[in-house]
Amino acid sequence: MRRIYQIDQTPCAFFTAVFSAYADKCEQSAAITSTAFQSAFGDEFISVYPDEKKAARVVKKLRAIDKNCLYELDCILRTPEPDKEQTAFLYIRRLIEKNAPVRGMLAFPEIRRAVDLSARVGTERHRLTGFLRFHETSSGIYYAACTPDNELIDLLMPHFCARFKNTPFVIHDVKREIAGVSDGKSWLLAPAKRADVVFSAREDGFLTLWTEYYRTVAIPERKNTRQMKNYMPVRYWAFMPEKQSDRI
Amino acid sequence: MIDEARLKILTDGAKYDVSCSSSGSRRKNTRDGLGNASYGGICHSFTQDGRCISLLKLLMSNDCVFDCKYCPNRRSADVARASVSPEELCELVMAFYQRNYIEGLFLSSAVYKSPDYTMERLYETLRLLRTKYKFNGYVHLKGIPHADKLLTERAAALADRMSYNVELPSEQSLKLLAPQKTKESVFKPMQTLALTKRELALEHKKRTGKEERQGTGRFLPAGQTTQMIVGASPETDGTILKLSEFLYRKYDLKRVYFSAYIPVVRDPLLPNETTGLLREHRLYQADWLLRFYGFEADEIAPEGENLPMEYDPKCAWALRHPEFFPVEINTAPLERLLRIPGVGTKGAYKIMAARKYTKLTFDDLKKMRIVLKRARYFITCNGKFNGIENPAAIRVGLIAAERSDSAKQLNFFDGGFPALSALSESPALSLLTATEREKRFLLSSTPEIARSALTGQL
Repeated sequence: MRRIYQIDQTPCAFFTAVFSAYADKCEQSAAITSTAFQSAFGDEFISVYPDEKKAARVVKKLRAIDKNCLYELDCILRTPEPDKEQTAFLYIRRLIEKNAPVRGMLAFPEIRRAVDLSARVGTERHRLTGFLRFHETSSGIYYAACTPDNELIDLLMPHFCARFKNTPFVIHDVKREIAGVSDGKSWLLAPAKRADVVFSAREDGFLTLWTEYYRTVAIPERKNTRQMKNYMPVRYWAFMPEKQSDRI
Repeated sequence: MIDEARLKILTDGAKYDVSCSSSGSRRKNTRDGLGNASYGGICHSFTQDGRCISLLKLLMSNDCVFDCKYCPNRRSADVARASVSPEELCELVMAFYQRNYIEGLFLSSAVYKSPDYTMERLYETLRLLRTKYKFNGYVHLKGIPHADKLLTERAAALADRMSYNVELPSEQSLKLLAPQKTKESVFKPMQTLALTKRELALEHKKRTGKEERQGTGRFLPAGQTTQMIVGASPETDGTILKLSEFLYRKYDLKRVYFSAYIPVVRDPLLPNETTGLLREHRLYQADWLLRFYGFEADEIAPEGENLPMEYDPKCAWALRHPEFFPVEINTAPLERLLRIPGVGTKGAYKIMAARKYTKLTFDDLKKMRIVLKRARYFITCNGKFNGIENPAAIRVGLIAAERSDSAKQLNFFDGGFPALSALSESPALSLLTATEREKRFLLSSTPEIARSALTGQL
């Protein structure tokens, strides 16, 4: 018989569920999920509500074992995978069992899955630091839209804040309807459904120059579309001005 | 603002420069500035040819007084000429950077009027960019041969990385194809810059008692690079690698770029054919072995010899050194793991980490995404060997592994496919001379490979 802890999408709820699983002494037969679950006969469902105190105790314990694991767990919980909570939970279970960092245990499937999911978020964050495109609006704010696979707008904000000091900018996750807003000094996350963007007068000129530059700098004798797509997957092209005119 | 037509001409002139990396510098933003550098580098886009765009690669002018035979901008060529003013260029860089199109600027120029005049213009642009526009992004500056030493050093103090292109790997070829360039004019400034950087690093150590952190410091934090054209002159891969090794050791170069020769210019002294991209690829593989795998140039290819085309240089080394293998995955030290064909640095580190917890089997390796199609001939897991003993059969297996790679990326080898001819010429591969066992192996691999082995083509 399994005990299934059902939670909402927040990390706090997840850590509370981890706390409950250990408190109920059923960590070996527990599962944590935030999505609809294909239950087996005899499964017991428990709804867990976020409790900051319990979550903080789990985080403190994990930090004592391996302070870098919190970054990995954070990344895992940002992916859209249905098994993300369970992956994170199994990772924690192994951490507590070994009482030492376990990210090197790649011969174990649950660790491989955890490392994979966390690397996915890291990779996408790095990609977006390059592939994001800002447009100058008539009000002087720079606006970039994107539809990342993972929920990571807040991971991008510090990078761009360090770069664009004193320039207000917005990074908009159109899919999740959330936006990172910076006034040039500090930033925050805000829900954002739609954005009406009016380009500044000179924006079109730079868009043309950039597209022209992109087209010219390629060496036609060495066309290698496959490699281009490997490095720059097509799903990111929608918001890149240089990929609008030639979609191949 | 710069117009489209000029941007096109100046980009066209710069695009054959291979280097476009924005790595190696940790330059920080200033309080009222724009931009910083990322140590690992960031690619902002990828062109149709699969190369990354990280920096805005532009010539300040393509009006050249030099007459290098291979260069599309040489004095005697009949091409449209254009130039851009420092102000115009700064404006463009700032606008592109703010939109996150680029990571910085790659600034180069044809030798306009004189080397000193050109260097002065480059310096002026950099100075404007750093002081007036307060730009703190990445700047890669091309050195102009024969330019004044003081001017060069002042420009270097503002750039993140500088490069002088060796272009041709020997003095004779330089004399023949680039008469205005000399060995001196390229190597001397490289040496001067390397020495200055070393001196400053020493000073820093004396002052603070600590080693200077990689990628910091005021003088060329990202070091120097260079580029060589492969295939325009008769030098062998062995010579090219030896020269690269020398440059890495003596001048602390960060990268040596290779560029397979493309005949943009017709000249009786130059070959009329494009050098195969495969040769360039093999040289880069060898270059990685030099920089990250603890190999020496002599081990990879003796001077006067070329790298084999049918498999990668590490495979070639392994075939020449059967006494080194098999390597036991569960006990071998890192430097031995790194010498296994098909196992990269990432794979080697994964193995090192994972074997602390359990004895690794072939199955574990596969699940850890260690590619075994080459490695399996050279490793044991807990004493178990999963390959074949016959060296000729191993050779066939390695070529087959290469073929299955290239089948996936045929485009990569579009510029002539030397491996194809190697395949039909290689005695080991001809089914007629193959032993029964080899034949079985060939036919049991993927159908495409078996067919290609039978007919000599894919």
